Amino acid sequence: MQTRESLRSADEEREELENGYLTDFQPRMMDWNASRIFAVKNIRIAIRYPTNVLIWGLLPILWLAPYLLMMTAVAGPGTSEYFSEVSGFSDFLQFAVIGWFIFKYIDASIWSIGNNFRWEQFSGTLEPLFVTPVPRISILLGAAFSDTVQTTISAFILLFTAMALFGVSYTLVAVGPIIVIMLLMIIAFYGFGFMLAGMILVFKDPSVLTELINNAVFTVSPITYPLQVLPAPARFAAYLIPSTIAIVVIRDLAIIGTYDLFLFLQSIALMCGILIFFWAVGIGVFNYGEKWTKERGSMGGF
Amino acid sequence: MTQTESSSLHEKMMKRGGLRAELRAANALSIKQWRVEFSYPLSVLYFIVMPFLWFLPMLLAGTAVAGSPTSSVFGTYTGTTDWVTYIAIGSAFSGLAMSLFWGTGMAFRREQNVGTLETLMTTPIRRDTIVWGTMLHNVQHGGLGVILQLIFSVLFFGATLNLWGVFPALGIVVLAVIGMQGIVFALTCIVLLAKQGWMIIEVVSEVFLIIAPISYPIVVLPPILQYVSLASPLTWSVDAFRSFLMYGFLAPGIIQAVAALLIIDILFIVVGSLLFKYTERYVRAQGALSQF
Repeated sequence: MQTRESLRSADEEREELENGYLTDFQPRMMDWNASRIFAVKNIRIAIRYPTNVLIWGLLPILWLAPYLLMMTAVAGPGTSEYFSEVSGFSDFLQFAVIGWFIFKYIDASIWSIGNNFRWEQFSGTLEPLFVTPVPRISILLGAAFSDTVQTTISAFILLFTAMALFGVSYTLVAVGPIIVIMLLMIIAFYGFGFMLAGMILVFKDPSVLTELINNAVFTVSPITYPLQVLPAPARFAAYLIPSTIAIVVIRDLAIIGTYDLFLFLQSIALMCGILIFFWAVGIGVFNYGEKWTKERGSMGGF
Repeated sequence: MTQTESSSLHEKMMKRGGLRAELRAANALSIKQWRVEFSYPLSVLYFIVMPFLWFLPMLLAGTAVAGSPTSSVFGTYTGTTDWVTYIAIGSAFSGLAMSLFWGTGMAFRREQNVGTLETLMTTPIRRDTIVWGTMLHNVQHGGLGVILQLIFSVLFFGATLNLWGVFPALGIVVLAVIGMQGIVFALTCIVLLAKQGWMIIEVVSEVFLIIAPISYPIVVLPPILQYVSLASPLTWSVDAFRSFLMYGFLAPGIIQAVAALLIIDILFIVVGSLLFKYTERYVRAQGALSQF
């Protein structure tokens, strides 16, 4: 009797499954609901460790300070004739602090978005996540949203603390254009992050890859020094990074308060081009990395 | 392996002891770490390129304000106008310090993450040998980084080194490692107690690096930090290491630096070792060794 009951129950379950969501399921290019859920999940975890957001806002000051102290030792306090000539700005402290504010977003796109699947792997949730019937890009986008929220808080902690410590100030006259450029940069970096996520799936050890890319990007970006001090090929490479144009425009807007309208529109167009390029490359690299890893059965391997 | 062979090997292992046995264990730990690192192909590339990438932004930032490889302002602070050589040597040495702080400080946590901490703690070796063994690996790792960075700096950036100072500079490295090992013992205690101690290691190591004369003389620091800096083994180590490599055997102020380093070394290693001994005992008594 029990066997017959259990058999009937199995049949019923099978029938339910056949008529249920699995047959109705249609693969989609993007699942915004999944992105939202993943972003909320990540933010919930972040709220459990509030000191992380604070420490990531304050730590970059310890990385920035050696540059400023070294520049002071080499040129004297605050400014130098050569610096004014090559950068167009008189105060290298003011120049560097805004650069480091934007660098927070570069750092997050490399470390946080790219490494998200690695952390899921460490938590033992990568494989369950990969058998969930939602597009992987939705999951990555969710991770990117939550990282942007956390990075924005940390970046403003860094900016205000550095302004107070080093006695620098900025104008808010052109805050609208600054927000537009920042948004384009952040969205373009999502594509950059997707690309790194694909590479990390293949290479596994994220610390080395991310450290390598982070340092290379930092070196060619006009964060602490102007692009003019770089050799010509490095300067060209710098313009391929989504943040370079953004740093140049935002710095002008935040320090001087004005920017040539034609140049601004040209920068917007260039940023849009970079955004499309990085999203196309990012999704392509990620899909290839995922396929490559699945074919070799090395998804859960360390 | 037969049961008799296995049992005799076990007996032999339990009877081992003395300095030679501990050195062999430390060496085995160092080799193991190299094997782990080289099993990731990107690590090799990272190892070669990183010393270059660490120094380059400093060089570019200096160039942006100086415009040339010499600076008279820098000369008034340090006694040398050659800021490129000054920063190249300091930056190379900081790579060794970072390798020790991070690599050795996080050794226990790394073993815990891969599930080998308890096995390692039940191995019949002294507990501090685990830290010394990891230190041995990181001295080799960081030391090779120093050599690579100095070679890059001389070949590509015009840094000039006094070759007569190489051997005495190596002596300074030995003294520096002893002092920094004291700090590393303290960092290991933090990791043992706080488990996820990376945040504290990051802050502590960055503070030590900021107050040391790595890419600038300590006179540009606020006065209070200048005093704190004098109590750090890193300050005297970098200073003496650079003096030997820039001025050779008869570097100015070298006796004072070596004497200060010796005194600080003794203090740091004694306090660090005692801290480690009691913390490790406390954590084991609490049964909190394998907790995440």
